[in-house]
Amino acid sequence: MHAVADELFKALADPTRRAIFERLAREGEQTVHALTDGAGVSQPAVSKHLAVLKHARLVRDRRAGRETHYRAEPQALAPMIDWIARYERFWDDRLQRLQTLLSKRSTE
Amino acid sequence: MTRTIQREILIPQPPEQVWRAITDSATLAQWMFPNDFEPRVGHQFTFRVPGNPQLKFDGLVVRCEVLECEPPNRLVFSWSAGGAVENTRVSFRLESDGPGTRMFMEHAGFELSQAFGEQAFKGAEYGWTRMLKQLVAVLVGPAAGNI
Repeated sequence: MHAVADELFKALADPTRRAIFERLAREGEQTVHALTDGAGVSQPAVSKHLAVLKHARLVRDRRAGRETHYRAEPQALAPMIDWIARYERFWDDRLQRLQTLLSKRSTE
Repeated sequence: MTRTIQREILIPQPPEQVWRAITDSATLAQWMFPNDFEPRVGHQFTFRVPGNPQLKFDGLVVRCEVLECEPPNRLVFSWSAGGAVENTRVSFRLESDGPGTRMFMEHAGFELSQAFGEQAFKGAEYGWTRMLKQLVAVLVGPAAGNI
């Protein structure tokens, strides 16, 4: 879990990358050109950021002719969401045990 | 951004009996973990979570302190298990419901910004709070269906 999560958090620690990811998630698939407009950084810089996001599996690319299109993969955020879900399962399990224990005692 | 786990369950036994189950150390050990709990505010205690060699889990110690204790209705203790789970708060509220008990359990204070450790990202300078709110909104929002 930790290797994947580390990549994920490193990728999203940078505000420019975060903005790119948020934009892709919000507006859908886009080319590097389109992303460069409004990113406030050069195209090579955008490409570099996209490579980091891709490495963290936060975006997926697709080549079409001379353009590469990128889209967000929000399910890559799952490790962050899973973390809380583990504790939810823990409590469901414990409360179930409590109920079982109490019902045994009251029939004894 | 902090997250809270909440559960509400109906238990056939009366509050006094449920109260004993959550405040008697030996009984508590039966449904939670071995502990040195005592039902008084300020008491510091631990839950010793046993390891599981098959899962390569070494076990862990949860550090707690009783914050509120009002028999037979309300018990609150802190819950620190290291890493992302420091100073979270577990509370139980018991209410009579006919012959039984309605129990409200809450585990509050999970700080999502610390979910994966402090080594690389400390503090609020990265805007985690804002970011995570947006990301979660994106993830669960209507737009997520299209992606």
